[in-house]
Amino acid sequence: MAKTFRRGTHPPTHKRYQDFPLNDFKVPDKLYVSLSQHIGAPAKAVVSVGDSVKEGQLIGEAAGFVSANIFAPVSGTVSAIVKLPTANGGEADHIVIDNDFRYEKSFLPILSDPTKEQIVERIREAGIVGMGGACFPTHVKFSPNKPVDTLIVNGAECEPYITCDCRLLLECAGEFLRGVKYEMKALGVEKAFIGIESNKRPVIDLLKKMCPSGISVVSLITKYPQGAEKQLIYSVTRRIVPAGGLPADVGCVVSNVHTAYAVARAIEVGEPLYKRAMTIAGKGVMKRGNFWMRTGVKHSFIYDECRGSVPEEATRKVISGGPMMGFAQATLDATTTKGSSALMFFDKKQTDVSEPTQCISCGRCIQCCPMNLLPKDVDRFILRGNYDEIEKLGVMNCIECGVCSYTCPAKRPLVQSMRLAKKEIKARGAKK
Amino acid sequence: MSKYIVSSSPHISSKSTTQKLMLDVIIALVPTVIASVVLYGFYPLFLLILSVGTAVFSEWSFNTITKRPNSTRDLSAIVTGMIFALCLPPVVPFYVAIVGAAFAIIIVKMLFGGIGRNFANPAVTARIFVMLCWAGVMTKFVAPIDLSDGANLFSYFTHAVNINLPDAITTATPLAVIKGATGNPVEGLSALDMFLGRIGGSAGEVSTLAVLIGGLYLTIRRVIDVRIPLLYIGSTVVFTAIFYANTDFVGEYVWSGLLGGGLVFGAFFMATDYATSPKSTVAVIIYGLLLGFITVIIRKFGSYPEGVSFAILIMNIVTPLLEKIKPRVFGQPKKDFVLIIKNKQAEREAKKALKAAEGGVANE
Repeated sequence: MAKTFRRGTHPPTHKRYQDFPLNDFKVPDKLYVSLSQHIGAPAKAVVSVGDSVKEGQLIGEAAGFVSANIFAPVSGTVSAIVKLPTANGGEADHIVIDNDFRYEKSFLPILSDPTKEQIVERIREAGIVGMGGACFPTHVKFSPNKPVDTLIVNGAECEPYITCDCRLLLECAGEFLRGVKYEMKALGVEKAFIGIESNKRPVIDLLKKMCPSGISVVSLITKYPQGAEKQLIYSVTRRIVPAGGLPADVGCVVSNVHTAYAVARAIEVGEPLYKRAMTIAGKGVMKRGNFWMRTGVKHSFIYDECRGSVPEEATRKVISGGPMMGFAQATLDATTTKGSSALMFFDKKQTDVSEPTQCISCGRCIQCCPMNLLPKDVDRFILRGNYDEIEKLGVMNCIECGVCSYTCPAKRPLVQSMRLAKKEIKARGAKK
Repeated sequence: MSKYIVSSSPHISSKSTTQKLMLDVIIALVPTVIASVVLYGFYPLFLLILSVGTAVFSEWSFNTITKRPNSTRDLSAIVTGMIFALCLPPVVPFYVAIVGAAFAIIIVKMLFGGIGRNFANPAVTARIFVMLCWAGVMTKFVAPIDLSDGANLFSYFTHAVNINLPDAITTATPLAVIKGATGNPVEGLSALDMFLGRIGGSAGEVSTLAVLIGGLYLTIRRVIDVRIPLLYIGSTVVFTAIFYANTDFVGEYVWSGLLGGGLVFGAFFMATDYATSPKSTVAVIIYGLLLGFITVIIRKFGSYPEGVSFAILIMNIVTPLLEKIKPRVFGQPKKDFVLIIKNKQAEREAKKALKAAEGGVANE
């Protein structure tokens, strides 16, 4: 029996490319490695212009506990440190490396049979972050201050179009499962669940065959946002993370599929995190599918590589991440990071340009909200500027999954109103 | 300016639009319209066209006069016009349809802010309005046309301006018969006739079969919250059984109450109006149960034989109150009422103690 959470919605999945194998993506001459690839303080550059670096060499050092190390994706020379926009709308220092195409490697030492502490330390050393998109430093997550008994590995991949985790699981299942074992050891837990949406049948069958004792595969109903942390925990364990709480409050830690794989690589090969599987999709490009992508590749390079014979005017919207929660790009200057799960080039037909009309109070946003909030009421109060009322509606619990905006027949920007409400309430709280 | 469109997520949206939802309601009303033509000829269809035309024209002219963008393209005015016409008796003077439809759109809908802002269902309110204006015609119902009798589908056009229908063609609705009954309330009435609509009643309400086809369509297309009609119909059945428990004909009262009036039509097409029905589960349950309760109370104790439209109007007005019942946010603990009361008590006592202390200070 496939498990699920309450409410949610069913956008078209577009998972055609889950049947196509992962290929290496062409590496450009110049790579622009962002020092801010994670949540928390940006890393501090430890190389300077003119230094020669090797693939896998530390170039940015974590600045504080909630931060992560950054590594050179190729061997070559550091030619500059520049400010560039990041994919999620900020700006950060980027280390520019001129690729010498020799790919000389400098990895961390291999660990055989590591202890609990050694694993957590290696996760920190290798700069591993949550690779589902939020990029929260994994070593912080694996140092919970509450007792945990369950590890949940998030393979839901509920965003439309994205299929990189699915491919990774099919092609690297052995390493992935060993990664899960390491993560379990790091947390000191006895059981782990791998949650996978039922539209990835081959993955579920394969993992069920290979799973060692202690790890079980959970088939989840294909529904958005199945991969949202609180919803996933509920689907798999029926535990409810208290409002405002963290997974550790109910004894759970959630790890992304790709993160588990990266942990195995860091321990068994000594490879730090500078490369990941990534989905390229959208009708604005010819070459679509899943690729091994190094960090620091400019979006413009990816576009030129993939565009093929599609005219440049065809691309109307560029999205880093999935279409439900990803970031629209104003330019192609941003670069790939540890969290770049997808890059989409939408053409006119795929781009949604519907204009908002008056709310008809149909209640679809309420029926579909996975957090059981009232988006239409928040939207109404936002338009009136009535923040006292909004504070009563629990908007701080909004996970910004976008289900409300997606389902709205009047095409109202509901999740956008929720974001505004959250921001405003935070600002008011700070004032008080 | 970027050459790419930049907006915040989500970047895709569902295919559902207001217009498509309204189109679904129009499609769901088609079986009822067909049934009204089959039963009463083309006169009810003529009223329907008049009503829809007036509704659309009223909305368009309201928007034009008040310099608002034209909103008739969302098709909601057509839906209102259709529902209003279908809950009129099959033969009423044509101007009743025009006045009612204009009242529904201008007074109930547009003056309160248009679609989604109306305080009550426009069609229901308009029906009650014309009932108060023309009580005579609104309570006279004609019998279905009997084609074997030399009549044709255009026969009722002769009464297009007739305030007083000749007694020869009028008939009592089952609910009116029941209201006056002393013995068996459904003497001479058959359940099959009621189900198919071969009875006196409002043009669109008589054929339960046609209404159910439309209701099923709306349910499958997920246009309406099906809990509302189910709760409404269910609670009407239960309350009818309770209120008529002291008679010998409980069963007869239940099925005639279910099929003989406007209950099923009202439950599927009017009580489910988006703007005037609650959304959270608890509120929906209260809404559905009270609808049934009020309907039965009016039917049994009121001076009118039918109570569906009044029940819906009353509950529409109660809806903003019901909406104050907020659903529990995922992850929030259940409300512990014992604890809340205890906290309140403690608070009160603390206040008392504080007052006493202050009083003490003042006394010193």
